[in-house]
Amino acid sequence: MIREKYLPALLITPSLSIILFVVAFPLAFSLYVSFTGYSLLTPGSMVFTGGENYVTLIHDPVFWQSLKNTVIFLTIAINTELFLGLGIALLLAREIKGGRILRTLFMIPMMFAPILVGFQFKWFFNDQVGMVNNLLYTLHLIEKPILWLIRGDLAMLSILIAEIWRGTSFMIIILTAGLMALPKDPFEAAEVDGASGFQKFRHITFPLLSPFIYIAMAIRSLDIATAFDLVQIMTGGGPAHRTELIWTYVYRLGIIDTKFGLGCAMSYVTVIISVVFAYYLFKQLLKTRG
Amino acid sequence: MVKKVQRVGLFIVAIGLGVLLIGVPAGAKKPFEGVTIKAALIGGGNYEKLYEEFIPQWEEQTGAKVIIVAKMSHFELDKKFKIDFAAGAADYDVMTNHTSFAAQYDKFGVLLDLKPYISQGELADFLPSTLHMCYIGDRLIQLPRHIDLSNIYYRADLFNDPAKKRAFKEKYGYELAPPETWDQAYDIAEFLNDPPAVYGTQFTGKEEAFTGRFYEMLLSNGGRLFDSHWKPVFNSPIGVKTLEYFKRLYQNGLVPPGVVNYVWDDVAKNFAQGKIAFHLDWGGWYPWYDDPKSSKVAQTFGYALMPEGDAGIRVHWAGCHTFSVLKSSKNKEAAVSFVKFITSKEPQQFEAQLGFGAVRKSIWDFLLKTTKDSRKLNFYKTYKYALENDEIVTPPLIPEWPAFSNILYPELQAAILGEKPVKKALDDAARKTEELMRKAGYYD
Repeated sequence: MIREKYLPALLITPSLSIILFVVAFPLAFSLYVSFTGYSLLTPGSMVFTGGENYVTLIHDPVFWQSLKNTVIFLTIAINTELFLGLGIALLLAREIKGGRILRTLFMIPMMFAPILVGFQFKWFFNDQVGMVNNLLYTLHLIEKPILWLIRGDLAMLSILIAEIWRGTSFMIIILTAGLMALPKDPFEAAEVDGASGFQKFRHITFPLLSPFIYIAMAIRSLDIATAFDLVQIMTGGGPAHRTELIWTYVYRLGIIDTKFGLGCAMSYVTVIISVVFAYYLFKQLLKTRG
Repeated sequence: MVKKVQRVGLFIVAIGLGVLLIGVPAGAKKPFEGVTIKAALIGGGNYEKLYEEFIPQWEEQTGAKVIIVAKMSHFELDKKFKIDFAAGAADYDVMTNHTSFAAQYDKFGVLLDLKPYISQGELADFLPSTLHMCYIGDRLIQLPRHIDLSNIYYRADLFNDPAKKRAFKEKYGYELAPPETWDQAYDIAEFLNDPPAVYGTQFTGKEEAFTGRFYEMLLSNGGRLFDSHWKPVFNSPIGVKTLEYFKRLYQNGLVPPGVVNYVWDDVAKNFAQGKIAFHLDWGGWYPWYDDPKSSKVAQTFGYALMPEGDAGIRVHWAGCHTFSVLKSSKNKEAAVSFVKFITSKEPQQFEAQLGFGAVRKSIWDFLLKTTKDSRKLNFYKTYKYALENDEIVTPPLIPEWPAFSNILYPELQAAILGEKPVKKALDDAARKTEELMRKAGYYD
């Protein structure tokens, strides 16, 4: 009886211990570090300083700018990826000739490491030797180079284009899988009732696909932090912090400046925002599941 | 008679065998037989050829074995070293170091003072300008591998064009030639500027690359980054004038408008494409610029000394790749022996011929004696002249340098982009720097 009672707990103990060791402990430790003035280059600096790091962040205009940039970046990137991904998935889910090859081709951007995508798009948007400006020169559309990676609005647009190119594939894959798994009966019934294509999409496809959409959005919103490599290569968060995202700023403070305490505090702010966003998406997902 | 001859013959053979046996070194014990040295070294590009060529030679001579535990870019190594030192997990004996980074590592107290292991005679061949960078205080914590500094690369076809020469003299009243002062550099950039085909000049406008360019011009104009108490003083009138210079170049369109996003490879690509009349760049790029496969200006560009500032001096922000030995090494003698060998004449000559800047006088003598190509010879002469006569400076050897650079360069960018007045940008940077230094304990 006792054996039966404790056996499940006993069986999960090893995996639970590992998770505690590799996830819970570092999280708790970094939370503690965020309340210290720890600098990697200053031995003995892991001294409790209360909320000083968080106060520093609140008074740091670059932090607020990077937060604003991140919210804009995240909102535009995820929604555009969803819009494009859904559109392409609707086309790919049809039984068309060469559909399988097309589906494979659309996966290609996922195969590249973000750092490589960063180098590629940095070259595309280079003002002097970049492909985009050279194309525009050749077509006599411009006489002076466009400062893709310098002007605040265009620099953000450039990194967004690179990120959307990289991230849309994921949406396509998940949503295509979702579309292929939808039951056929409701569509046949709607067909009999004379529903239009848009009505079928609005009242059947979209509601049935919603769980997939929320899952894809939740994963992408957490995964989008990997855009760090891309931004770091393309603009380095500059010029003058114009494209600074919260991840590039954490890297600058935590790794380059070795201010681990401040870096951890900022990471926690990021984690909290991500968790809130993911929680909202999962709540919506649960609603769709009834 | 025959027997006698046979006996003499046998005697000679026996003596011969004896001599051979005594002469065979097989029995001689090598100085570090059985010792293993672990090394964390810079990798990639031409860096690894030195290891492939010379590590086996040192192993053969000493009987020791070298295991390279890490081969990474300096950027990656920097992260690894800081984390290893903080965690006390550095289990290697020898490491690649750099004069710009060494102060950060030294703060962990891990670098061995090499002075007790090396005689003054052994150090005599190193150029004084490079050797002094290898000290922190009076401790010799690294031996130099090669040095790099910046001078002017220019498009000789533009500078030697008779029509341009005439027009320039008419307009500015002096000969069109590689600029000797920053003011001349501005005039020439203005005159040769013909965008978008050719820009007058360019500079690296991002990250430490921009901080360094500002730093060397500031010093050549008579300014300083810090006073003797480590208070920032770069927001002085000289600092303002220096930054105004960069701003004028940018705002007047004498540089490509993308410079604020350029680091080394970007400016190199532009010059190699023939899009820049002249610019400052590292000596290490010379072989790449001179290779027709990678450059449109190959065989035609010229090389000249960096301009001087208001203080009448040329200042080169420079750095040496070096090797250090860790205090924690269990085989310090062997590790130092390896570092001495790998920075000795033969390896240096080998690397100099690959295009790296030599740090030994004898190697420069060798290069000047044996080089026949007049352009290459001019390159070596100019480079050596700078090393021997100009101010060669490292960044301030403080662990806070990277953090300071991260404060300064975005403010420099904001000023040249016109987001902030020059004085305000420098004042903001000075205020943040003072805070950084205060927290680091410089004002206690």
